[in-house]
Amino acid sequence: MRGPDVVWYLAVAAFLFCTGALGVLMRRSPLIVLLSLEIMLNGANLALIAFSRHYAQGDGQIFALTVMAVAASEVVVGLGLIVAIARKHLDLDVDKLSTLRG
Amino acid sequence: MIAAAWTCLLVPLGAALAITLAGNRITRRGAGYLATGSVAVSFVAAVVTFALLLGDSPGDRSHPSTLWSWLTAGQLDFGLRILVDPLSVFMMLVVSGVGMLIVAYSIGYMDGDDEERRYFAYMALFVFSMLLLVQGGNLLMLLVGWGLVGLSSYLLIGFWHDRPSAVAAAKKAFVMNAIGDATMALALFLLIQRTGSLNFEIVFANADSLGVWAANLVALGLLGGAIAKSAQLPLQTWLPDAMEGPTPVSALIHAATMVTAGVYLIVRTSPLFEAAPKVLELAGGLGAITLVMAGLIALVQTDIKRVIAYSTMSQIGYMFLAVGLGAYADGMFHLMTHAFFKALLFMAAGLVIHALAGEQDIRKMGGLRRLMPFTFVAFIVGTLSLTGIPPFSGFFSKDSILAAALSQGWYGQLLWAAGMTGAFLTGLYSARLFFIVFWGEPSAFVREHLMIGSHASGREGHTSHERHETHVHSGEGPPSMTWTVGILTVLATIGGWIQFADLWTPISSWLDPVAEPLVEATGTQELVSSLLAVGLGLVGIWIAWLIYAERQVRVPRFAQVQRLLEHKFYFDELYDLLFYRPSVLLATGLYRLVEQPLVLGSIRELVRAFREAGQGTGRLQTGLVRNYALSIAASLAIVTVVFVAVR
Repeated sequence: MRGPDVVWYLAVAAFLFCTGALGVLMRRSPLIVLLSLEIMLNGANLALIAFSRHYAQGDGQIFALTVMAVAASEVVVGLGLIVAIARKHLDLDVDKLSTLRG
Repeated sequence: MIAAAWTCLLVPLGAALAITLAGNRITRRGAGYLATGSVAVSFVAAVVTFALLLGDSPGDRSHPSTLWSWLTAGQLDFGLRILVDPLSVFMMLVVSGVGMLIVAYSIGYMDGDDEERRYFAYMALFVFSMLLLVQGGNLLMLLVGWGLVGLSSYLLIGFWHDRPSAVAAAKKAFVMNAIGDATMALALFLLIQRTGSLNFEIVFANADSLGVWAANLVALGLLGGAIAKSAQLPLQTWLPDAMEGPTPVSALIHAATMVTAGVYLIVRTSPLFEAAPKVLELAGGLGAITLVMAGLIALVQTDIKRVIAYSTMSQIGYMFLAVGLGAYADGMFHLMTHAFFKALLFMAAGLVIHALAGEQDIRKMGGLRRLMPFTFVAFIVGTLSLTGIPPFSGFFSKDSILAAALSQGWYGQLLWAAGMTGAFLTGLYSARLFFIVFWGEPSAFVREHLMIGSHASGREGHTSHERHETHVHSGEGPPSMTWTVGILTVLATIGGWIQFADLWTPISSWLDPVAEPLVEATGTQELVSSLLAVGLGLVGIWIAWLIYAERQVRVPRFAQVQRLLEHKFYFDELYDLLFYRPSVLLATGLYRLVEQPLVLGSIRELVRAFREAGQGTGRLQTGLVRNYALSIAASLAIVTVVFVAVR
């Protein structure tokens, strides 16, 4: 029940994280940005669980559960914002939401 | 005895607080009665204290009492402490006794004023402050009372605060007094440094070991406070202006009690002054100069209250002369008789002002003799007492002072000569005032106000708010004004008989345990001084009679001299030139050269720097979410690299 070494898990986690980060940075639709964020979080979760298993301790897994809860709430808020934007008949484009320009 | 003394002190404070807190829940008349009642209780308490103190043996009449420790700082410990001894009881009797009469008089005088309650609260506060001043058991309590009487004087001079001149006069009095307060505080600091205490006994016991410099500086500081409060040269200019206040205030604060606090201070701290004899002589000299100068200025004044104000200044000059020579009891005796006859003069003048609807210019008055016979008698008694004509009270006290001066070598004789000149001037100016106001035929102005049976009452000089309702009271004023004047008339007549040097001297022997006199006049000196002073006073009256009553002699005209006197020896102008203008110049200069370029300029530059920095960093805020995300990612990457590299 050894399975692959922790390095492989970390590689997959890093790949997921980078994919998500690229999505956040490059896509303009808020929906896709949210999705990418989820991918980043899951990459982080994977790394946590991998280490948890590597050191044979439960802490990482519990922390991953917390991250999931936070992610769920974050998605609720994010989707709520998107719905609010859509209701105002605004373009779903993060670059056009730049009212806070200094 | 101690309980009675505390009662005497605290009841007026209670009345002041009660009137203040009661606000509209108390009638105006009620406030007057409350204030009068509280001062009357004070007086009774003072009499009780006096009676109990009489029971002690003369050497054992000093009773300090400390309520609690009031102020503690390191080694220093100042108690809330009063001292009951012959001197403080003497002052308690004068302050509360005369105060009671004057506050009662105010009930009639202030009737119909807009803010009577405020007036009576201030009056009660003043009586409390003055009692604190005279009862204080250490120099700190004395200084607290000293400052509080200054405050209540300020409040009462500026009582009619809608009059700019009254506000200006109040400010002037306060600033002049503040100079004295400051020098006094400095003296106290020096005393604390040298003796480590401000309790009278400890300070006086160490008076001789202060060292020449310290002793002189302390005495000078105390003298500065005394001359500021007592309106002596060179801090005298505030007193005439203080006449802007209501007349009873002038009678109580600026004639009978507060302005004589300087004399009390010198007598109270006489051991400190005796350690610096030159300063004590200086006090006498200043008094002598002031008494002549004020007498001269009084000759040309045309405002009834200002004439009396200058005579007050002059009479306090006599008291300073006395205490400056070490004739403490004579000075205190004159303080007492002066309180009687000067309060009487002011209150009689108040009756005149009241009857003439607030007019104070004596050139419009005349011939009041038949129209106001009661006031006429009161004024005669006041004038003769002021001039020192026997058997009225001023005679006994003033002549003791002059006799004491005569026995003090060449310096004393110089002061004696000044005092004699003053006696002549007193006769002249007081008789001038008296004849102008009361003699001759009634002037048109007087006829208009007094011959129609009833008269308008109004606040003095306050024609705009004048209430033209007619009073139904017959005669010369409401009862509260006339009976108080009556009592003072009696006191001014017989008050001097308490002490008749050398025959009987109860006041001297009463005060001797507190302040041993440095001078004893012989019977011959008493006789010579009395004869000369009375003679000169009568000559003054006679000359005034020729000029102002008989009108046989025209008023002599010396344009230069008259202008000099009308400008009060140019003291106001001098101070304006010496202090006011340079400070204004300095202030404008500093504003232009320091404040504008340095202070305001630096602030302006700082503001600009911050604004520019803000605009610069503001450009970083693009408002694009992806930019923010990129910067977070980039910084995270950098941090990671650095972290790894440093590891």
